[in-house]
Amino acid sequence: MSPGRLVLEAKGLHRDYGSVVAVDALDLSMSEGEFLTIVGPNGAGKSTLLSMLSGAMRPTTGSVSVCGEELDFARHEWRHRIGMLSHKGFLYDRMTVEENLNFYGKLFGIADLKDRIASRLRRVGLSERARSEVRKLSHGMRQRASLARALLHDPDLVLLDEPYSGLDPAAALVLRDVLEELKDGRRTVVMVTHNLREGLEMATRIAIQVGGRFEWEGSLKGARWEDFESHYHCVVEGRV
Amino acid sequence: MNTYLTQVWAILRKDLVLEIRSRERIGAMCAFAVLTGVLFNFSIDTTTVRPNEVATGLIWMTLIFGGLLGVGRTFHLESQDGALQGILMSPAPKDAIFLGKLIANFVLLYVVSLLVLGVFGLFFGIDLDRNLGWVVFVLGIGSLGFVAVGTLFAAVAAGTHLRETLLPVLVFPLMVPMVIYGVGAMTPLVSGRPFTEVEGNVRMLGAFALAAVAAGAVLFRYVVED
Repeated sequence: MSPGRLVLEAKGLHRDYGSVVAVDALDLSMSEGEFLTIVGPNGAGKSTLLSMLSGAMRPTTGSVSVCGEELDFARHEWRHRIGMLSHKGFLYDRMTVEENLNFYGKLFGIADLKDRIASRLRRVGLSERARSEVRKLSHGMRQRASLARALLHDPDLVLLDEPYSGLDPAAALVLRDVLEELKDGRRTVVMVTHNLREGLEMATRIAIQVGGRFEWEGSLKGARWEDFESHYHCVVEGRV
Repeated sequence: MNTYLTQVWAILRKDLVLEIRSRERIGAMCAFAVLTGVLFNFSIDTTTVRPNEVATGLIWMTLIFGGLLGVGRTFHLESQDGALQGILMSPAPKDAIFLGKLIANFVLLYVVSLLVLGVFGLFFGIDLDRNLGWVVFVLGIGSLGFVAVGTLFAAVAAGTHLRETLLPVLVFPLMVPMVIYGVGAMTPLVSGRPFTEVEGNVRMLGAFALAAVAAGAVLFRYVVED
């Protein structure tokens, strides 16, 4: 299979907080259709990396390009290409799911907003709760509403920060099905997770981040998650 | 341009819808305004001072303190589920976000300022018959200047651990011109003097408000971007 177009390219990405280095001169490139899972212990700099890739945080040094366009904070167009699902939903509790999506849709300048909202809600299985206030939804439903928000503007690059955080097994299963649909060959996905099993199942590539660097990166297609788990611990403990 | 206005409108509408549903800020601001008016009514001996001379100063001080209660919490709306990050990650220009929030805050504060005027008019017996339109106009300009400064510094304070505690320290020094020209314009107006006598003060108040709006729109992105 020939590689798709380059969607994400990070060069020498570095972020420190004074003497603490969160992300250490990291390079990353991803093509269309790839699904990268980043796993690692707490404090490895995974969320910081994702924040920089999303354009929510400036790197101390280094650059990020999405679809060939460098993230320039003085401009806004590139933000159309990125969708992010964080452990925070970016939703307003006292507005309905539909109102939240309508609000974000207007910020993104989406023309066919009504149809788009209906389609995204169908996709995440929330059509019947469209008019429910977000505060009345379960955690799993909120997470699906957040996913609908993240995908509303049809981004090329989807960033997922701990999407399974706090979900019960049933809700995690529903979310997993929705995320599985993201592997449509058209979208590029980066997911940060502590859930090694889910991470392995979803990914076309996996990276283990420790101390701000990718200590191991590769593909484990077909590997058993138990084997990956022991490999992960070896990498994290510095035995590889 | 249409997209820009749509983005400003989306922020404005969202803030007002959330306020109408929660009534968190407007309730606190209105209660503060009424209670302050009542307390000032009992604390000032109107046989030794002329009510008209002190009332306008008290109106502006009540507006500033009451306004801080509401404007200071403008970013609280965004902090609950990380929504500010969601907005900042959208393609909406930062000045559009600022303007949307500023107009929403202005609407709230203007409603409160009219209530304050009514309360002080009632307790201090100030004469609003002759210049009511101009007084309301001056309050509007002052409110605009206040919310421009308040919205910007509310964003600064929201990014610190001190949050609302820090806000008065940042905002009060910048309110000096507003108080000087606001009181300077309103005192003669409530004494029945013609508008032409206070035109200079109103122009200065307007210039302060416009400068605050422009500075806020330009500086907002440096405050909210990481």
